[in-house]
Amino acid sequence: MLEIKPIINALFRSKAGAMMLLVQIAVTVAIVSNATFIIQDRVAYLNQETGYPEEEVFSFSIMSFAEDTNLLEQAELDEQTLRNIPGVINAVNASEVPLSGSGSASSFFLVPNPDGERGVRAAYTMGDENIIDTLGVKIVAGRSFTADDVVVQEEGMDTVPSVGIASQAFLDEMFPEGDGIGKTLYFGPFPMQIVGVVDKMKGPWLKDSRADNLVIIPLVRSHTFQKMIVRTEPGQRASIMAQVEDLMLENSNERVIMRVRGMDESKQNYNAEDILMMRMLITLVVVLVSVTALGIFGLTVFNINKRTKQIGTRRALGARKSDIVRYFLVENALICTLGLIIGGVAAVYLGQTLLQHYEVPALDLTYVIITMLSVLVISLLSVLMPANKAANISPSIATRSI
Amino acid sequence: MFLHYIDLAWRSFKRTPLVSILMVSAIAVGIGITMTSLSVYHMMSMDPIPNKSDQLFAVQINTMDDGETWWTSDDLALQMTYKDALALYESDIPKRKVAQVRTGFSVHMNNDTVKPFVEAARVTGPDFFDMFDLEFLYGGVWSDAQHSNANKVVVISEELNDKLFGGADSVGQQVMLDEHAFQIVGVIKDWNIHTKYYDLTNGAFNSPENLFIPFSLIPVMELPTWGNTNGWRYEEINSYQDRLQAELFWIQFWVEIDNPTSLQEFKDFIHAYLIDQAENGRFERETPKYEVRNVNEWIEYNGVVSDDNRILVGLSFMFLVVCLANILGLLLGKFLRRAPEIGVRRALGASKSQVFAQHLVEVGMLGLFGGLLGIVIAQLGLWGVRQTYSYYSALASMDLTMLFSAPAISIVACMVAGLYPAWLVCRTTPAIYLKTQ
Repeated sequence: MLEIKPIINALFRSKAGAMMLLVQIAVTVAIVSNATFIIQDRVAYLNQETGYPEEEVFSFSIMSFAEDTNLLEQAELDEQTLRNIPGVINAVNASEVPLSGSGSASSFFLVPNPDGERGVRAAYTMGDENIIDTLGVKIVAGRSFTADDVVVQEEGMDTVPSVGIASQAFLDEMFPEGDGIGKTLYFGPFPMQIVGVVDKMKGPWLKDSRADNLVIIPLVRSHTFQKMIVRTEPGQRASIMAQVEDLMLENSNERVIMRVRGMDESKQNYNAEDILMMRMLITLVVVLVSVTALGIFGLTVFNINKRTKQIGTRRALGARKSDIVRYFLVENALICTLGLIIGGVAAVYLGQTLLQHYEVPALDLTYVIITMLSVLVISLLSVLMPANKAANISPSIATRSI
Repeated sequence: MFLHYIDLAWRSFKRTPLVSILMVSAIAVGIGITMTSLSVYHMMSMDPIPNKSDQLFAVQINTMDDGETWWTSDDLALQMTYKDALALYESDIPKRKVAQVRTGFSVHMNNDTVKPFVEAARVTGPDFFDMFDLEFLYGGVWSDAQHSNANKVVVISEELNDKLFGGADSVGQQVMLDEHAFQIVGVIKDWNIHTKYYDLTNGAFNSPENLFIPFSLIPVMELPTWGNTNGWRYEEINSYQDRLQAELFWIQFWVEIDNPTSLQEFKDFIHAYLIDQAENGRFERETPKYEVRNVNEWIEYNGVVSDDNRILVGLSFMFLVVCLANILGLLLGKFLRRAPEIGVRRALGASKSQVFAQHLVEVGMLGLFGGLLGIVIAQLGLWGVRQTYSYYSALASMDLTMLFSAPAISIVACMVAGLYPAWLVCRTTPAIYLKTQ
């Protein structure tokens, strides 16, 4: 019915061309299935939920070089100036900005000054009672900070706050049996009671193995290098960001305002390498598939030109146009299937090699199967047009001599 | 003969323009993509200081208790404590040595002409400039006396000198770093390195600092580090002096040693120092652990070339294989269709090797076109990389090596792909084609 035997016979007469097609399809399947898998992995990573309204928050740094300035008073004044800008919801002077790639971390323990015991590591950031509202995170249990919780430190570690707010993930790790709220944990020798729980807030490093562990401490310190976080009404961030530097320098000009960045932008900077990898892989896949499709197209055109006379003869002997088209489709499908099988095996092998040598997750087989099917469809589509052209070859050509 | 083959190749190219263009584009795209990822890889993995990369060593010592682990492959911290750096600096065995850390300041001129801006600064020893092959445009390094007296002196970069003094000789002038007046003693020429190998802790591809100040200023000015500080046990640290005495790792240490004997001596010195420290009860450690790594080993150890990059290079070469298979298929068709013509040439006396050579020249020409077009595509690709990732802007470019390798790889690849079709076609038996027609 499908004339497989004569097709195979014909293929064996021009092995090399078919072989090249087979190699192309096999390598294409191997590359595309691994590349799409890595792409999907990065897309999932880049689009993960962070817990913050990233498009409404921005941050900037202040480096002061003024002598004899009370930096704490200055920070209060700056916060007030920021809150007075129409469209600003809240502003806070914080020690670290989440998602920015720069931060501090420490181990927290269940007992003070533990000896040899392993604690649970979490990133931490410090700020006054406005920090929760400014970050826009949701407290699911307990309460936010009040002004009474906040400790202002001039020098040294003389007094420290006795309360903290933590992410759910951190508390789950610290207290595996659940319900960490109200419990006390230790930061070196200092006790800290957890008064609030945030369902989700990522720390400064999204790639960290403890990316979800973040503790917020109500502490304000005097520092020549400060970070300011601001949350605005949706859509107003850009215009507010544009005026921040001038407003801050109006308050005091013996300092430098820098890195005025949206939270999403900071995150993008931190992840630039992944975005780059994703884009390069997407380009690679698109170009590769086009090259392969063009190659199949070109090869079929050649085959048809070579066989013009045979096609004419077959038509003269009574083959219908659909028979001619079918011939080429079946021929291509035969080569393609073999290529797909080899390519599928190669893809799995490549995936395992990558897994052994590099930090990539294990290849999901569905990606191989989807790629195989797509390549088959693309391959058949590439054959269809030249095959239709071949079907229009006039039977009379057979009777002509060249 | 060669010129004649080129002429023939050009005619053949024009006879089947569509297929020829298809082949050239396939190889061009293949080369373009491969060259894009290869260029970045090449820049990343390039030896940053080839003439002395085997004489510069990063020093690591383990001053933690036995059983403590670190995230590096051999449990050694990348930096060391301040006190250990001072102790190792005492050794006269290395030809040159530096203890260093990164900090930063607001730079201004105490007037309104220059808007204050922030610059990172390297706090380092006077040997730094000779060690890492920095050239001075004006002035020179601070004197040993200035170093030991912790004078407020600074070496600035050409870039900064242009910005502050319009490129004039600024030696002897003052610049304000925060609220401190620093005297400029030297201006270094622009320092173009792709990999910031002398300090990989805060991004391997960031640009070098523009300010260099004496390491002896650390205890005097209580300079904060702009790099990483890591501890391994809880310590109460209430003041900067506590920090200097603490077991915190935040100082980098490099030595220059140009002969194996001194290297061994220096290792013995570290060994003895660590045993001494352990005996004094500073940490509990049975056998001293330390490592000195030269520049290339250091770059490898720090994983400067990312996994992503290696994967991309691998995938791009596989992609090139697909393009070649593609071309091979098309060449087969193209050459074999010419069999009658070749038959006539053979009958007229052309030898097999001549026919073979003629066809190889033809594919070589395709390779050359493809390679040249490939450079254009690679430039486009690298432009895309720079757009996505400004951090790579110095890396995403093609140096001369890469520029020449593009057509070379392309021609070689095409010739390899053309071998089989050319061989097939040169075996053509003339008789068949002379018969019927």
